[in-house]
Amino acid sequence: MLKIIRIAIVLIVLLSTIGSFGQDLDSLMNLNAFTQESELQKILNKNVAVSSKNGLTTRETPGIITLITSEEIQNSGARDMTDVLRLVPGFDVLQDLQFVMGLGLRGSWANEGKVLVMMDGQPFNELLYQTVAIGNRFPVDAIERIEIIRGPGSAIYGGSAEYGVINIITKAAESLDGVAVYGLGGFHANAVGRTNGGVMAAQRGENYSWDISAFKGNGIVSDQMYQDLYQSSEAQDLSKVTRADPMNINAGIKLGNLSFRTMYDQFETSDPVTFVSNKNFYADLRYTWKVNDKLQLVPQVKYYNQIPWTFGSRESGEKDFNARATRVLTQLDAMYDFSRKVHGTFGIVYFQDQGIDLLAGDLFDGNKTLTLNNFAFFAEGLFKHRLANATIGFRYEKNNRYGAAFVPRIALTKKIENFHFKLLYSQAFRAPSLQNINIALGGTIKPEKSNVFEIELGYQFTPEMLLSVNAFAINTRNVLIYGSEGEGDDFNEWYENSAKSGSNGIEVVYSIRKKVWYANLTYSYSQSIKDNTVATYEVPDQRQYVGFPNNKITLNTNFNLTSKLSFNPTFLYASARYAYTSIDPDENPMLSKLDPYLMANAFFNYRGLFVPGLNVGAGVYDIANVRPGIAQAYNGGYAPIPGRSREYVVKINYQINFKK
Amino acid sequence: MKYFKLPIMMLALCFSVTAHSQTTNHQVYALFVVNIAKYSSFPNLSSDFQVTVYGKSKVYDELMKQSGKTVNGHALKVTQAENVTELGSAQIVYLADGKSGSLDEILKATEGKPVMIICEREGLHKKGAGFSFIVTENSTLRFDINNTELEKRQIKISKNLSTLANSTI
Repeated sequence: MLKIIRIAIVLIVLLSTIGSFGQDLDSLMNLNAFTQESELQKILNKNVAVSSKNGLTTRETPGIITLITSEEIQNSGARDMTDVLRLVPGFDVLQDLQFVMGLGLRGSWANEGKVLVMMDGQPFNELLYQTVAIGNRFPVDAIERIEIIRGPGSAIYGGSAEYGVINIITKAAESLDGVAVYGLGGFHANAVGRTNGGVMAAQRGENYSWDISAFKGNGIVSDQMYQDLYQSSEAQDLSKVTRADPMNINAGIKLGNLSFRTMYDQFETSDPVTFVSNKNFYADLRYTWKVNDKLQLVPQVKYYNQIPWTFGSRESGEKDFNARATRVLTQLDAMYDFSRKVHGTFGIVYFQDQGIDLLAGDLFDGNKTLTLNNFAFFAEGLFKHRLANATIGFRYEKNNRYGAAFVPRIALTKKIENFHFKLLYSQAFRAPSLQNINIALGGTIKPEKSNVFEIELGYQFTPEMLLSVNAFAINTRNVLIYGSEGEGDDFNEWYENSAKSGSNGIEVVYSIRKKVWYANLTYSYSQSIKDNTVATYEVPDQRQYVGFPNNKITLNTNFNLTSKLSFNPTFLYASARYAYTSIDPDENPMLSKLDPYLMANAFFNYRGLFVPGLNVGAGVYDIANVRPGIAQAYNGGYAPIPGRSREYVVKINYQINFKK
Repeated sequence: MKYFKLPIMMLALCFSVTAHSQTTNHQVYALFVVNIAKYSSFPNLSSDFQVTVYGKSKVYDELMKQSGKTVNGHALKVTQAENVTELGSAQIVYLADGKSGSLDEILKATEGKPVMIICEREGLHKKGAGFSFIVTENSTLRFDINNTELEKRQIKISKNLSTLANSTI
């Protein structure tokens, strides 16, 4: 038997070099029309569902895409989503109010309703303001992959995806067939930065699957001293007066074509004087009905119950704001294959949002509740042609308070041998949320709308090496802006539409993946549009918005020193930023220039310590202790959060797979 | 022979596990051309078996590696042509994707002659080619056959080959 195998191996080698022209006729039917995938190509060729329900590969899907794998997250030693997303071209993390951190994208503030963040299909944008608090929140060590559209996604996802979409898929929901536990500790010189841990279990059978996972953590926002902008109190040690404590429970079950997922997420954070709490509950039931070979229908029912942005005194615990927001959503998606090369996706959605005041009962213009009814219809066609894939789609959404929004999108994409191109035009919108409508200046507010042009060119020099370059132009009109004045009983806040904002720029991604090492080098450049009208974002005489750098360079590398031990340095460079750091004699906040910074991190990973499945890692974040501050993204009265100091990180995870 | 089948199966398996691959594998296209030739019979075939690649295609380079080997007892001769006057006495004309617009011209030049036209571009069997390649959703290479056209040209193909077609007309 051994002899036969030996002969076979020799013949395989021979045949693969001289060409297998003596092939059996039947075996021809299994031959692939393309060359074998390299490790890089395996990632690039994954079908990404985030930017088109028709599942094209990263290089052909109609969106500018970043795909982050669990391997990359694990190797880099990422402490939280901030570390993961900062390595993505065009992404930045800035401060909203009360030390809550949110996302900026391509040089513009995007936290409030402009980036949709989903985990296992559940949207994390809360319903009152549509914000997503980032920071020590998401269970990074439980993530299977993250699919990111670095561009508009409204035509598919509606009014919370104007600038981008982040789709997080957990291991438990996607691939795990066993039990896994993980833990993370982050330690500063004089404070514990975070202690997070989680457990997950999942089983997959032929016609069923279930998964359950839990994640809990404790952390701080920073370990540095903080002086508030108005110097109204003594400088405070943030390691003692802030918190960033996440919790997430996530469970799913699939029986045949019926699937159900439920999730509870809680994130408690604080600045020196105010606590902020976000509590979200999700339930999602859907049935995938394959009517015939061509038609698939997916009816869905979803229910979200949230208590977002509860805030109050950190010392007394008394709540100043406490409201519930609920959404009941029904949706029917239809996918129809007109032919091998023409696919259609259609959807009809109805959802009702309701805000309920949990304090005095008069939050909503003197009423306890505010109800919004929304109806949406979307359609998308994919036409595959040898010269290009064309995607044409639109979404129409009508709301009983702010009216209607119609956003079309057109995309031409194609990979031709080593080269690929994408030409994308999208309109996108941000739907006013419950609170946007509730405190609208003058009682009226319009949906914000963006026109986005993108072009991407990519070339694969070798199977292990890809360079892609994209340019974008974003023009946003009717920008939804928060404003406030006064204090205490005289405090007044509102939302209004400002005429114009937006940005343009380029992003470059160079990826190389060899057998024992890989590197992802990215460069992003963005500048504000010339005729921006949003004063609170503006930096006078500069083509950049408050808190954002014009230039960002990231380098994420991995070196497998042995088959088990890897060394993973990561680097992040950002050019000069502007932030409100002090006040003038009239107590008006003043801008100052923050120096460019280069943050270097290194992480060692050891896989299979003592037993298979046991992985440990240790490393240092911010080796040079440069502590880049987190600026507020607008003139909102907050000085930058002082960047955390050098943090020593240890990670451990253990996975046991069920026997088949 | 028993020892030979095992590596062939394993090789086929190696190819088949790559669902979404990268650049075109011209070796596989050439392999199909040789096997199509092997499982077809041409009238009045006395000398070399000539395959002419019309236009620029890397399939030519792959076929050249087989030049001189035998196909059904005839030596395989591989040539390249840029216009119909260079087709000579080809049994198979392999039409490169970039020259697909020349199909009508080739059909006219070879009308009634036992010349099999195999097209790199999908769907051209409907426009008079004997064979055209098609890449399926799972990236495997298949072919469509125009039996009517082949019969007109007195070319017979084996049942085994015909049953493996993606579609026939």
